[in-house]
Amino acid sequence: MSSILTDINRRTFVERFAKAVFGVSLMPSFGNMHAAQNKTGGKARSVIFLYMRGGISHIDTFDPKPGKSEMGGVKTIKTSADGIQISEWFPQMAKQMHHVSLVRSMTSTQGIHDRGTYLAHTSYFMTSTITHPSLGSWAVKQLNPVNTVLPGNILINGSPQHPRSGYMPTQLAPLPIVDPGAGLQNSALPKKITDSEFIRRSELAQAIGKRFVELTPHRDAAAYLKVQQDANTLMKSEDLKVFNISHEDKKTQAAYGTHTFGKGCLLARRLVESGVRFIEVEDSHNWDTHNDQIKQMENMTPSTDQTMAALLDDLHQRGLLASTLVVMATEFGRSPQISNTTAGRGHHPGVFTWWLAGAGMKGGYVHGKSDEIGEHVAEKPVTMPDCNATIAQAMGMDLQKVEYSPSGRPFTVADKGKPVLELFA
Amino acid sequence: MNNFCRIPKHPKAIVFFIVAGLFSFIGTVGAADSPRFEQDILPIFYHHCFGCHSEKQEKPKSGLRLDSAKGILVGDVVVAGKPDESELMKRVSLPHTDKDVMPPLKGGAQPLNDAERSMVRRWIADGAKLGSWGKFDHRGSALPVDDVVLSHKDVRHLSLEVQKRIDQSHTAKGTRLNAPVSDEIFLRRVYLDVIGRIPTLEESTRFIESRDVNKRSKLIDELLLTEGYVSHMYNWKADLLRINSKIAQGQPARLYDTWVKDTIRSGMAYDEFVRKLVTAKGYLWENGAVGFYVRDLGMPLDHMSNMTRVFLGTRMECAQCHDHPLEPITQKDFYQMVAFTYGVSNLGSPGGYSPNNVKQYPEIKAKMAALPKDEALEQSVSGTIAPLKRLTIDTNMQLKFPETYAYDISLRGKLVEPRTLFADEAIITGDDRRKAFADWMTSPRNPRFAKNIANRLWKRVMGVGLIEPVDSFSALPDPEHAELMDFLTQTMIRLRFDERAFLAVLLNTRLYQSDAVRENPEPGMTSKLLGPQLRRLSAEQIWDSYLTLLVKDIDKRKFISREGGTLDPTYLRKLTLMTADEIIAQARMDRAEHTRKRELGLRRVEQQKALAAAKDRGDEKEVKRLMAAHAEANRAMAVEPEGELIPTETDPRWKSLPTNFIRASETPLPLPLGHFLRQFGQSDRREIDAFNRDPNSTHSLALMNGDLTTRVLAEDSYLRKQLAASKLQGQQSMQLIYRAILIRSAKDAELAEISNITKSSLNPEQDLIWALLNSPEFLFNQ
Repeated sequence: MSSILTDINRRTFVERFAKAVFGVSLMPSFGNMHAAQNKTGGKARSVIFLYMRGGISHIDTFDPKPGKSEMGGVKTIKTSADGIQISEWFPQMAKQMHHVSLVRSMTSTQGIHDRGTYLAHTSYFMTSTITHPSLGSWAVKQLNPVNTVLPGNILINGSPQHPRSGYMPTQLAPLPIVDPGAGLQNSALPKKITDSEFIRRSELAQAIGKRFVELTPHRDAAAYLKVQQDANTLMKSEDLKVFNISHEDKKTQAAYGTHTFGKGCLLARRLVESGVRFIEVEDSHNWDTHNDQIKQMENMTPSTDQTMAALLDDLHQRGLLASTLVVMATEFGRSPQISNTTAGRGHHPGVFTWWLAGAGMKGGYVHGKSDEIGEHVAEKPVTMPDCNATIAQAMGMDLQKVEYSPSGRPFTVADKGKPVLELFA
Repeated sequence: MNNFCRIPKHPKAIVFFIVAGLFSFIGTVGAADSPRFEQDILPIFYHHCFGCHSEKQEKPKSGLRLDSAKGILVGDVVVAGKPDESELMKRVSLPHTDKDVMPPLKGGAQPLNDAERSMVRRWIADGAKLGSWGKFDHRGSALPVDDVVLSHKDVRHLSLEVQKRIDQSHTAKGTRLNAPVSDEIFLRRVYLDVIGRIPTLEESTRFIESRDVNKRSKLIDELLLTEGYVSHMYNWKADLLRINSKIAQGQPARLYDTWVKDTIRSGMAYDEFVRKLVTAKGYLWENGAVGFYVRDLGMPLDHMSNMTRVFLGTRMECAQCHDHPLEPITQKDFYQMVAFTYGVSNLGSPGGYSPNNVKQYPEIKAKMAALPKDEALEQSVSGTIAPLKRLTIDTNMQLKFPETYAYDISLRGKLVEPRTLFADEAIITGDDRRKAFADWMTSPRNPRFAKNIANRLWKRVMGVGLIEPVDSFSALPDPEHAELMDFLTQTMIRLRFDERAFLAVLLNTRLYQSDAVRENPEPGMTSKLLGPQLRRLSAEQIWDSYLTLLVKDIDKRKFISREGGTLDPTYLRKLTLMTADEIIAQARMDRAEHTRKRELGLRRVEQQKALAAAKDRGDEKEVKRLMAAHAEANRAMAVEPEGELIPTETDPRWKSLPTNFIRASETPLPLPLGHFLRQFGQSDRREIDAFNRDPNSTHSLALMNGDLTTRVLAEDSYLRKQLAASKLQGQQSMQLIYRAILIRSAKDAELAEISNITKSSLNPEQDLIWALLNSPEFLFNQ
């Protein structure tokens, strides 16, 4: 495709892209830099938040109970971290565990998917008078952008129930990438449309639009003419390439895998390289294994194991892991007992596992403990707000800073969660 | 961290407080006039002082009350003629940093601004006159009502009466209405406002060519009776009531949508609609209105906050946790309101199995105990009766003051007696608190109920409410347009809450049929009554307008849900009536079905694995074969999360179209991120009116390169077929495209411009279609 706007210089473009994707005033106010100083954390320039929707079993993954009947015959394997064992279904992740901090004492009171998912993303309980912002929106609200061109908050393969920016302005909402293989939605010309057709049509639309705008002082009318020009510029930009994972070599693509989650994580890494602050990738597997636990896990784990491990390894090889925090999160665990009737596991918010890796977190470390069979927390309970506070602290956010909703209600990032300081190396 | 709300920084909220506090009355007082207490000073006291210094608090701070003449005149609080000696003036004039500044910055109150301070100063300097004012009436009084009954046949007369009051306001202010709109502009506007989409070519031709002098009012009446009206009205109500299809797991939530649509279609009076919601009982499949409660499962406090906001224009949510810092609404007030609905099962009370909701439960339990232990069957029974848990009834659960209640420690843990917030008391006869509450709320005597819906419907067609924000009602007098607002409120009552007739009154006014106000609404200002406010179309209006170009008879196309599954209403009705034995038998069948599904599921897993392997090998033939097998398994499993089967289209008009090309109101929510409707800011219905209309370049990307535009351009699109059938060519064809998309004729200058830009084009018509869809004009209601 020939470039229509080769003469546009890069600097102008940088400004336009930001406005184009974010609408107006995306820049958070400066002046929060002090938050990160003289405190634990602050090393996470970017976060990749891997979300396992449906509630991934802890026992069959990162908190196995060797020798217990609750394992349903699944074995455990040694890992690259001394003394840490995980399920045999994660042989690739086993080689990366020296990078990982496991939090095996996560606990919650929310055993319904949407309420647990909401809590995991916002740190607040769901209510119907207000929607709280997700952690990524907090991050772009509080922190200065690393890259002023790209949106700071991106959601790959997100589910419709994602709370997005909640009560915060929509400019802070994550930009959704619906199909990580296809890049930014609608940013390419449809098939059969030639450049010259597109140029002519755009010219026509601008000419017709101008007449309307001249008659219409309403700011949004002119803004629509403007965002069309911006979108036009965006389509031809070099920066759009960051969304195109086909620029990666075949070997790298194969390492991550060709499934949606693999593509999503590869895209996430590219976005990290470009300085995007917060990227969430939702796994497209449904981990809500009410039926046939073993069979389903056998089917789903290999691709997820492959991708998570590839991501950690790739970030490490490129020297990005020191400044990138990778988190695996989920709404709850699964019950230790395998049902006799369905051969599956039920919802289990009582105890479950999240993990964190990189950006100054300890590697090869386990925080907290579940009991013998993974039913209750045995030591050091950690709530989802606590874990989100840890992430916020790692990003250098100010946990005390009160932000007000449009209706004047006060909120802080991660609610009243307390960061788990032991996780920081 | 201090746990109080405070004045927000967000611009929208600032508008709210400015309106409430200042701008609303500053326009009525010239600089030279002496401030009048009730109009000018009382609102300042109300929003800045009454939160702590009124009879509403258990213990007003420092014993000071500013809501009565007696209270104000105590000691040196106000020294008439001497502002500098008045304690009140001194304290409100202190710098922010002074610990004695009033109102105190902690706790959420907002300092007076310069205009307010100078207003108070002038009032004191002029003698601090209170006139005949004795004390503030926090409850306000009920509306006097008469017995006049009006109907749709009075619409024309009522429109003139409304217009008369608008004209009087212009005479008083020396302003005047914008120029009358052309038929073309009126046509597009009234279609968008009443049925939520642009007219089809056929519809617009019929109107434009009609010579009937009454064609506008006839069109209004016609449109109000269409299915399109139901669709558009539903979107509006669903945004207010926060209806989405995922409101309750394991419940046929769509029956709530259906119920609301049915009430719109049948023209149920608005007060009856609200009464039915508030007093709803039963199962969703018996009475869709119970969705009102099922929606807010386990959230009794939020439910009440939302209810007063939507039905009474009153925001109470601050008082959920503490006394409202900006209005004399206490936490106790709020709890007393919640006490009316707290007993509703699912809302305040836990929902397990009990003879209250599952009447067969004791017998089932006994029978199961008599059978040999069968864990699988037990689980299956539990699953089979699960939908029956969500019966909406009144229980004897009663609300108690929270253990954190700070204003009167002796009340902690004590029962809360229900009491209304304003005007009449609710008379509870027997146990039916909800009925008493609904009667109070929907009574014509309620000063905020009819007024709320009148103001909201006004905003719906005029773009800006007579009172803004629409949920800022209080016991204060209306700052502006009070007479017009009162007349509209009376009209709503006299029309017996007939929403269609009321809309017809507004749509027939000259105000509605005047040129739009094309500037941004000024922050904090109410309408100047010059014309309707120009505004961007809602996401739903844009989507529905696109589909007007793509789908024949779009309003008639519905979401098809094939009967079947455990959430099918017919089955659920049967289940409700089953005996214990029948339920156990059903559970056995359900178990067998579950086993079958599990097997299919496992087979699918195997197929997925084989498919992945075949893909990796690059074995195209095998991939194809497995894909087909996979599709087959999917069909056998094809049950969406809510238990509705994936539909297939059989109607020949729509057979070649995607099944989701239906009006937005028909689409189950929430939609996937990245869906056109989500991109353009459709509400996810978590909160009241959570839609967004801000421009964003993902909008332009979608309009330029998205699927909808591509489809309109396709040769077999509804629009292209209509153009072909017209046999028009050249400029005439261009005119037709203008009329189809922008609902107006092109001006000569425009035609010249088009032919200039497209002179080298092979398909100028397609260029024009694309360009019109991408011009801002398409996105605005003017």
